[in-house]
Amino acid sequence: MFETSSESPAPVRVVSEAIKDYIDRLGPIWIEGEISELNERSGGMAFMRLRDTSADMSISVMCYKTVLASVQPLPANARVVIHAKPSWFTKNGSLTMSAKEIRQVGVGELLARLEALKEKLALEGLFSADRKIALPRLPRTVGLICGRNTDAEKDVVENARRRWPSVQFEIREVAVQGAAAVVEVTAALAELEANPDVDVIIITRGGGSFEDLLPFSDESLVRLAASCTTPIVSAIGHEKDSPLLDLVADYRASTPTDAAKRVVPDIAQEISDIEKIRDRMYRRLVSTIDYELNQIAQLRNRPVMKDPSVMVTSRRDEIKGWRDRSIRSFASLLEIEKKELKGVRDHLRSLSPQSTMDRGYAVVQLEDGSIVRDASKAKTGTRLRIRVAKGETSATVNE
Amino acid sequence: MATKDAKPSYEEARDELSEIVESLEDGSATLEESLKLWERGEELAKICQEWLDGAKKKLDAAKKPAKASEEE
Repeated sequence: MFETSSESPAPVRVVSEAIKDYIDRLGPIWIEGEISELNERSGGMAFMRLRDTSADMSISVMCYKTVLASVQPLPANARVVIHAKPSWFTKNGSLTMSAKEIRQVGVGELLARLEALKEKLALEGLFSADRKIALPRLPRTVGLICGRNTDAEKDVVENARRRWPSVQFEIREVAVQGAAAVVEVTAALAELEANPDVDVIIITRGGGSFEDLLPFSDESLVRLAASCTTPIVSAIGHEKDSPLLDLVADYRASTPTDAAKRVVPDIAQEISDIEKIRDRMYRRLVSTIDYELNQIAQLRNRPVMKDPSVMVTSRRDEIKGWRDRSIRSFASLLEIEKKELKGVRDHLRSLSPQSTMDRGYAVVQLEDGSIVRDASKAKTGTRLRIRVAKGETSATVNE
Repeated sequence: MATKDAKPSYEEARDELSEIVESLEDGSATLEESLKLWERGEELAKICQEWLDGAKKKLDAAKKPAKASEEE
């Protein structure tokens, strides 16, 4: 519409007027958002900032105080629908939505939408139990997303440290309510999910109004949480509050303290468990050793081991027995022989000439021992041996 | 019988000892064999006893500091 060049540029007023002319022709539209700043000036006008509930985007809105009065008092971070027409202020070149009507989005309406979203996500299976990831027994680093300097943060950190003193945290303090909450929580969650050291992520905030907790039911945040491979523990608000994040979380803690209990083991309990196991192991081993000691003692106490001399004495006794038997049998043999000998001798004796000689006979023998039975055999001068009953004598034959 | 030079495990020593005692009791071995068996038996009994005493001592040593720290 303008022919401009570096040599013939358009002045600001012309450009600004042209923009105004263009914008003024736009009709009014309905917009939904959250009021994050509200500034009621002394004049008749009120200024506010209307933020998107999921993305970090906002626009400025102005209206007559009377328009605002119809919805006053508004809660903090109120969800509203406005009917507004864009206006261009040529004085400073800013665009503002001029609201002719403001309606608060009621809790009923929000609840209905939440319920619809919940049903949709449930149908997709985002809440199903088989999607839940088991929490690590002892995480290397615990990711913690919480409000700045909140009790929730303190509760998680203190209780986790009490249970496991060396627990490591990656803490992201973010806006946990208002229009910035979804954007900041989402960014923190994405960052912690990408951190390989973070083994579990806790998302926590204390109790608050229904509107305060709405960011934790935001569809984009809930979907991100569902897609995380790092297990997520949610501890949002009180037990009765049930933001959709609780349903996709891998564990829904009732309180920040409960979340702390879930992510780290109790060191005192662990030490006591290990001590118990150790004790059992010790007692088991002691009884095994005692049993074996007893076995060995029994083996050592068996007579063959305890008194090995039996090995020798039993054999010695055996030898002695044999020897005794041998002596006894030899003696009896001897006796028999002796008796036999006596008989033989007696017999011999009965056969000898002694008894004849005892009666006075003598036996005459030649020198060669032959007995003289014929006197003619004994020539003169022959030497004769004469045996009598007792001893013998000799003689020489005369004529 | 296992070789003398290689130190047998506890179970090997115990089983061999019990076999030796049985054959000594059975009395079928010659005197010379019996004497050898008995010497081996004594040696095995000593090995078993030392093994068990050592194990018990180790256990007691491991148990004491644990008990002490428990009382602290």
